[in-house]
Amino acid sequence: MDKDYLWDRSGDADPEIKKLEDVLGRLRHNRAAPVFPEMPVRMRRPILTKLLETRWTSAAALALVVVAISVVGSLVRSKQPALGSAWKVTQIQGGPRLESRVIKASGGTARLGLGQTLETDSQSKASIDLDEIGTVEVEPGTRLRVLRLNLELTQLALERGTIHAAIWAPPGQFVVDTPSAVAVDLGCAYTLHVDESGAGLLRTTLGWVGFKLGNRESFIPAGAVCRTKPKLGPGTPYFEDASESFRAALVKLDFERGSVEERNAELNIVLAEARPKDALTLWHLLSREDESERGRVFDRLAKLLPAPPGVTREGILRGDSRMLDLWWGRLGLGDISLWRHWEGSWSAKRGAER
Amino acid sequence: MASVGDSVDVFAASLGREAVTNLSARDATGDSSLVSAAQAGDRLAFGQLYEQYARMVHGILMARVPPGQVDDLVQDVFLVALRRLSALRDISRFGAWLAAIARNRANDYHRQSMSAVEVTDDFSQAEAVSGVSDSAADSEAAVILAAIRSLPEAYREPLILRLVEGMTGPEIAARTGLKPGSVRVNLHRGIEQLREKLAQRL
Repeated sequence: MDKDYLWDRSGDADPEIKKLEDVLGRLRHNRAAPVFPEMPVRMRRPILTKLLETRWTSAAALALVVVAISVVGSLVRSKQPALGSAWKVTQIQGGPRLESRVIKASGGTARLGLGQTLETDSQSKASIDLDEIGTVEVEPGTRLRVLRLNLELTQLALERGTIHAAIWAPPGQFVVDTPSAVAVDLGCAYTLHVDESGAGLLRTTLGWVGFKLGNRESFIPAGAVCRTKPKLGPGTPYFEDASESFRAALVKLDFERGSVEERNAELNIVLAEARPKDALTLWHLLSREDESERGRVFDRLAKLLPAPPGVTREGILRGDSRMLDLWWGRLGLGDISLWRHWEGSWSAKRGAER
Repeated sequence: MASVGDSVDVFAASLGREAVTNLSARDATGDSSLVSAAQAGDRLAFGQLYEQYARMVHGILMARVPPGQVDDLVQDVFLVALRRLSALRDISRFGAWLAAIARNRANDYHRQSMSAVEVTDDFSQAEAVSGVSDSAADSEAAVILAAIRSLPEAYREPLILRLVEGMTGPEIAARTGLKPGSVRVNLHRGIEQLREKLAQRL
């Protein structure tokens, strides 16, 4: 095995790294554990088991309990999801509606389960506590449905409106369908808006998010946004501080069917105004533009962010996905293998469901 | 489809992934026992989890918020974890779960603070950013920290966990739940970029 001091302190200490360790080590965490409050304890045994252990439980009492559970259960089963298979929804403002029930009380709660819909009117807001997955804040004018809810995947459908998601589940476990693309959390926080036409806008505030429709995919890191249109899917992501003309040209390239001359002119603007950080945008254009235009994008991107070893102009022009992934790695915006892993398992699941 | 993940795995395998995997598995087993005990209300077990994971949480926060705020936020993160621990179903993912809470708490900090300190390339602002005292050594630490914080996000966290918190690469992977190959690649790429930044400074 090779010695690698930076990795595991094996081999001779690299003097430069040793010095960095010495200087920065003074900032290291050194506080003792505080006194923590009483721990909330997980309920380990079902209530029925506890009842059976109690002295007063007789056969008659047990029969009563079973009958009562059956009757009540049959009444509420269709409307009220069981604990553990539903999330707590809390009213923040106005009267958010969960199916036919309006949560009127200030701070009132209800449980949102599989197949159910949460809707806010123009005056109401709500939050959804997704337990260990994260939280979602639902803005006014939103309609949100639960499509899937299990240990491996939480899938919502945002039909219209705006949600803010803060997700701490592992990447790929929180997915939001919109009418024009699927948003896949790759960690950690983003805002997703869908208008009445089904067009969307995704803004990432922390970590990064994948946006996909068919074979068209976009990766949106913190500080960047991405538009999406029905039938066309996600556009090209860009940083919000890019110039206005850069952003306008990009929208035309993504969503308008201009002539060859018009597209050339828009691409000229994007290439001319791209800053080093806009390598994000140019990287996406490499797989979207026609082969004739791809060479120009390659040349500009290579100036802003040199292609890593193993990436060639010829390979990129023919759309070599491995080379594209290698170049993405140079951007330092996220580990694309997380996405490839999710994409593989997602496609397999979809295939199995068909 | 081939992906960068393939090359990362090959890279990791060629540099002793076996040893890393073994370390991760051993740690995960011990941590799972502690997490189970803590879920059952054992405060001592939660205290041990704090001892094992406080450096990770501290480093994740230091990569994102002003150092003067980090200690308080570490406490916040563990309090959130304590409150939510009973709902954690996959206890083998405790580290990744806790890391995500820490990243999310850093995000909340920036949302709540109108005067959020920007991660900056300007080393002249390093002392103001750092919040540390004014001795020469502290100033040097603040300058280097500011340089790390100006690197791409993917490099900041592993470098701080390695150089500030003193964790090894295998420890970082085992604690955060990230793939060892990714951590290793990001450490090496990050240190190269840090060298360039510091060379420009000199």
